[in-house]
Amino acid sequence: MSSEATTKTTYHIPIGPIHPALKEPVHFEFEISGERIIDVDVKLGHVHRAVEWASRKRNPVQILYLAERICGICSYCHPIAFSLAVEAAADIEVPERAEYLRVIQGELERITSHILWAGVAAHEIGFDTVLFLTWEIREKALDLTEYLTGNRVTKGITMIGGVRRDITKDMIPRIQKDLKFFKDNFQKLAHIFLDDKTFKMRSQNCGILTKEDALKLCAVGPTTRASGVKKDVRVDTSYFAYGDLDIDYITPDKLTGKINGDVYDRIITRLLEVKQSIELIEQCIDKMPAGDIVAEPKIPKLLAQLKKVNGEGVGRHEAPRGEVIHYVKLTGEDAPYTWKVRAPTYNNILPWIPMLKGEQIADIPIVAASTDPCMSCTNRVAIVNNGKHYELNKEELHRLSVEKTRRLMR
Amino acid sequence: MSPKKENNQKNPEELVKYFKDEFKTSIRSAEIKKRKAGSKKNETSTIWMKVEKSAFKDVIKHLVDYQFPHLPVVSGNDLGKTIELIYHFTVNYGTRMNEINLHISVDLPKSKPEIETICDLIPGALVTEREKQEMLGVKIVGIPDARKLFLPDDWPENIYPWRRDETGPEKYYKNLHEVKK
Amino acid sequence: MGFSMLGPVFKQMFKKPWTNKFPAKYQPSSTTKYLEAVGVGKAKINPPIPTPPNFRGKIKYDKDKCIGCNLCIKVCPCGAIESKPEEKKIKIYLARCCFCSQCNDVCPVKCLSMGDEFLLAGTDPYSKELIVE
Repeated sequence: MSSEATTKTTYHIPIGPIHPALKEPVHFEFEISGERIIDVDVKLGHVHRAVEWASRKRNPVQILYLAERICGICSYCHPIAFSLAVEAAADIEVPERAEYLRVIQGELERITSHILWAGVAAHEIGFDTVLFLTWEIREKALDLTEYLTGNRVTKGITMIGGVRRDITKDMIPRIQKDLKFFKDNFQKLAHIFLDDKTFKMRSQNCGILTKEDALKLCAVGPTTRASGVKKDVRVDTSYFAYGDLDIDYITPDKLTGKINGDVYDRIITRLLEVKQSIELIEQCIDKMPAGDIVAEPKIPKLLAQLKKVNGEGVGRHEAPRGEVIHYVKLTGEDAPYTWKVRAPTYNNILPWIPMLKGEQIADIPIVAASTDPCMSCTNRVAIVNNGKHYELNKEELHRLSVEKTRRLMR
Repeated sequence: MSPKKENNQKNPEELVKYFKDEFKTSIRSAEIKKRKAGSKKNETSTIWMKVEKSAFKDVIKHLVDYQFPHLPVVSGNDLGKTIELIYHFTVNYGTRMNEINLHISVDLPKSKPEIETICDLIPGALVTEREKQEMLGVKIVGIPDARKLFLPDDWPENIYPWRRDETGPEKYYKNLHEVKK
Repeated sequence: MGFSMLGPVFKQMFKKPWTNKFPAKYQPSSTTKYLEAVGVGKAKINPPIPTPPNFRGKIKYDKDKCIGCNLCIKVCPCGAIESKPEEKKIKIYLARCCFCSQCNDVCPVKCLSMGDEFLLAGTDPYSKELIVE
């Protein structure tokens, strides 16, 4: 049935900011002809929290914890990218052992995040049994995180010039036991995601991003690697201990031999990266040298040292979703002069447009989710306009909800 | 492990020399910084380059001809009399430990903060250029889509959240630190 | 195999659930009231999963050791600590605390430490349980 036979006029569908298919607030406006998407427009900024502004009243050590709260899933990459930027500006050398410990935390976060994403992707195509299977594995990863850092989500492990907690000898058996669990279950997951008919039907040849588009639109992370662009901060540059480790770009042709750039390829890339992360942690445990874990353990001394610095620095880290980059300018004051955060989803917004064009309405959730978007990371700056703000107190909200319920019961 | 060299990839010194030969005095300063990491002390290079506003678009054109650069973000500083825009590029990606961070900064006078768009060369710059327009009040000449991106549509005119003068957001900010006694 | 999820689903039917039913097997109508009843010994609680070593819970403050140097106030990311200059001690508002334990690290006399208490939710941020002094 061709669309010309029925009608030629298109119509608009707004999806979001709050929508069951979207996990975080973002507003799409689709131009639709029949079931097919002709054009897409994205509007952001519904969860702005003025994070960069808040940094103007804080010193670098306080900002670490502010950066941790930019995003719940990337609660390690933001503070670590910030401290990389500050270390570059102040020229602080990080002890070798700390570099290895930083890799272990980063890769553990990648395992957690990618497995979480795998579950959400399964949920988006209506395969909720897989959601529960993946989150069972994620629970183990979170338990390990809690064991190593003290908390499940906000890890509080980063410090400028190192890390805050060491991995002692008696912790290693527990880590190895959990890594074995991940490995065994990885086989299971890979079998389900890559061989299952349901997954193939929904994800193959859907939401295609060509290599050219990925390059031109500056996509990052697994999204760009699934399209065949070899770009990974861990491989491209030498930071932390990644320069010492055996690591290569993960592109889908490693498994299938060809690159389509569709949703299926993005699933492959992420799953292979989980395996890579497990191997990286094993390498780190083997190679980890002994020594200090932080360059300057006395925090007042560190703050005094940073107060003297006059310079700027950039920190880049490969977060689960792609490259995160922080720019810091220090001018000899308590608080940094400028702090600019760029989360990976910021660069993965524009690639949505070629991905979604020409797809069906039913594919919107899985295509949108396939870049692993994180809106809270992307939106950070906003100030409430006093002239127009309105506040609802608890009593008023309660009254309104009671009224609404009564109305519905009628 | 020494970085493998692809046929026409330049190392940081060559890249700086290339731009200095091409643009002479329009490159106001160029500095190469190297940072070592890990047990093997492998290096990553960073180039900080300051260019004149008049030559800026040509520099980007030459960069695109050399290798299509990745543009993660454009950041900005309000420096009192001028607004500094810093374009963070990376080039030479795709080979092991060979990437160069290239930060190109441009100074714009605050009385007339205007700069040409680079969306025609790098379409992926659209998001970050729209952000600079609303946050720093820089006018991007020739931007294909000038709407607001992060800020709401009813945002007051001539208030820019990243400015540090009277056009900054001071009066819209509530002190959240006060503790009820 | 076409539908590879079928096997795990059937296996799941014979497994014990992972969930620890905390605080009780069936959700009480008011958790706060239920916990109060537990406190006076009227109800029995299903114990939570033990916290790991080095868990960051409610802050413990050793008032006698504190010398009032105010370094913790300088590094606290959320402004949760208030100085009491007349007696050279501090006051911590747990409702603002983000449990980063940065104050523990910076304290020169180690008068602060992280406990393992985590049931801290309440409606009044200035209640007695949520202020450490």
